[in-house]
Amino acid sequence: MTTRTRYFVIASLLVLTVGLGTGLVAYYVGFPMSAFQRAGGPEELRYMPRDAAVVAYADVREVMTSQLRQRVHDAIPTPENGQQEFENQTGINIERDIDRVVACAQAAPDGSGVKGGGMVLARGRFDEVKIESLMRSHGAEAESYKGSRLIETYGPHQHQADHDTKFAVAFMEPGLVAVGTADLVRTAIDIHAGGNLPNATANEDLMTMIRSLDTGNNAWAVGRFDALRQQARLPEQVASQIPPITWFSVASHVNGGIRGIIRAETRDDESANNLRDVVRGFMAMAKLGAGSKPEMQTMLQSLELGGTGKTVALSFAVPVEVLDVISKGKRGH
Amino acid sequence: MTGTQRPTVFRSALRVFDLSLGQMLWSRRSVFLGLLVGGPVLLAFAIRAAVALEPRALPRVNGAAVSGGALFGMIIWLLYIRFIVPVLGVFYGTALIADEVDDKTITYLFTRPIPRSAVLLGKYLAYLVCTVLLVLPSVMLVYFFVVPLTGSIGDSFPSLLEDLAMLAVGLAAYGAVFALVGARLKRPLVIGLVYAFGWEPAVLLFPGYLKRLTVGYYLQALVPHAMPNDSAVSILMQAFREVPSLLASLTALAVITAVTLWQAGEAVERREYVLEQ
Repeated sequence: MTTRTRYFVIASLLVLTVGLGTGLVAYYVGFPMSAFQRAGGPEELRYMPRDAAVVAYADVREVMTSQLRQRVHDAIPTPENGQQEFENQTGINIERDIDRVVACAQAAPDGSGVKGGGMVLARGRFDEVKIESLMRSHGAEAESYKGSRLIETYGPHQHQADHDTKFAVAFMEPGLVAVGTADLVRTAIDIHAGGNLPNATANEDLMTMIRSLDTGNNAWAVGRFDALRQQARLPEQVASQIPPITWFSVASHVNGGIRGIIRAETRDDESANNLRDVVRGFMAMAKLGAGSKPEMQTMLQSLELGGTGKTVALSFAVPVEVLDVISKGKRGH
Repeated sequence: MTGTQRPTVFRSALRVFDLSLGQMLWSRRSVFLGLLVGGPVLLAFAIRAAVALEPRALPRVNGAAVSGGALFGMIIWLLYIRFIVPVLGVFYGTALIADEVDDKTITYLFTRPIPRSAVLLGKYLAYLVCTVLLVLPSVMLVYFFVVPLTGSIGDSFPSLLEDLAMLAVGLAAYGAVFALVGARLKRPLVIGLVYAFGWEPAVLLFPGYLKRLTVGYYLQALVPHAMPNDSAVSILMQAFREVPSLLASLTALAVITAVTLWQAGEAVERREYVLEQ
């Protein structure tokens, strides 16, 4: 073997050894990802509890100003009671004041779904004094809790005795407000004040899912499937047919239409293959059912099944024409 | 009378391997090989650089950003499985003996006091080491460029190991099949190309048993990533795809490699190579 051939073999084996060694360390001891990339995800995750069952994000400004939203809004003028009610209670106008929101839901302690509480962290422009005075005029109580202003109230449909559903607003930092069940908002302040209390960014499984969605999508959600399944209360016959899914995620980019991807992490490769088969079957049925509806065919043709190993991914695109057809149908009725 | 003992096939093959590895690595064909395995690395580097400069540059499928792991899976399927591995098998496998015949140097090898089949075996080993040492580091670099974009190295590491093993097995199987083609047939390159890019993809498209006569059928069953729906052909392939079990695939590929290599050795032992003047 000549010297240069020997050098080539050594260099090649070196690349393989270093690569495999790095991968092995990452696999067994959780290689610090920051060596290669940022921690990932919106910074509001630092205020969320580590055991959050579902985390969702939306770039409210982008979604609200998207062509899709405008067309849907024009086509189906929906009553905005909820939005108005929220503004009446808190003084926060969702469209005008909020840039983006990150929401989380905690699983109930008894494992009965995601009823353990929910919280939305909204970043934008908030008049703290105005919001507090408005809420106090509606009977809310304000206090200082670990350095943050906390305003607690009962929702319009909630009963005073129902302490679990007490609703709270807290100003975490300039331009960031937490709105949600009082317990969870207090937890967010605890995490913020405690400094090193475990937050959602310490949940590596969750963060891995979030990192895969964080770029280029203006709305996404990630969650533990068991929490969702319990919440859905599926019949046993149906639940037993669903392959064991551990995590799910939905990511989308909303603009002229909606383009997105739904992912499911299964327990093992075989479950992923089973799930792919199930999805493939549904896709085939849907394509047959679409028949002569060109707008539906366009949408169904956009469905693409993929994924690697334990991941099953289904990407989709809903063109605005499909939504036009749906809205025409609604108006027709 | 004292006679020197004839070396065994394996010892002779190792000697031929030692000579052939350098020849194979530093031949003109290596430029082609370098371009072939360097292409995906450059592509992965370009994606990495683009995403570093502008996060929204992450490739998209139907407008949705593709995760690093999924992108790596697509590169493995579209570049390595469907193109690089068969091409390397065809170009190098068919040339193991054919090159020596074309260069009229086969006589020098056959006049050595070694079994003729050792020449083929040694050259096959050189092909395997040469391609494995180029393709696997290339895959490793692509992996480290692409997967950390939005994924976790630790999480997808087992699938990387599966990819590396699968590619090595694929190179071994395709190399053996095309070594047989090169040893037995005239114009082996044309026949090899027709097989790799005509017969195999065509047969994999249709239902039936014919696909079991291909390397691709068993190799594709070992890929840990979902087959991408990049074209109508891929969708048809998925529709009629039967996935043999891991054990069946590995057994079939081992049998294909062993039988074709043995047949190639037999062909080299028996065939009379006529050197054109």
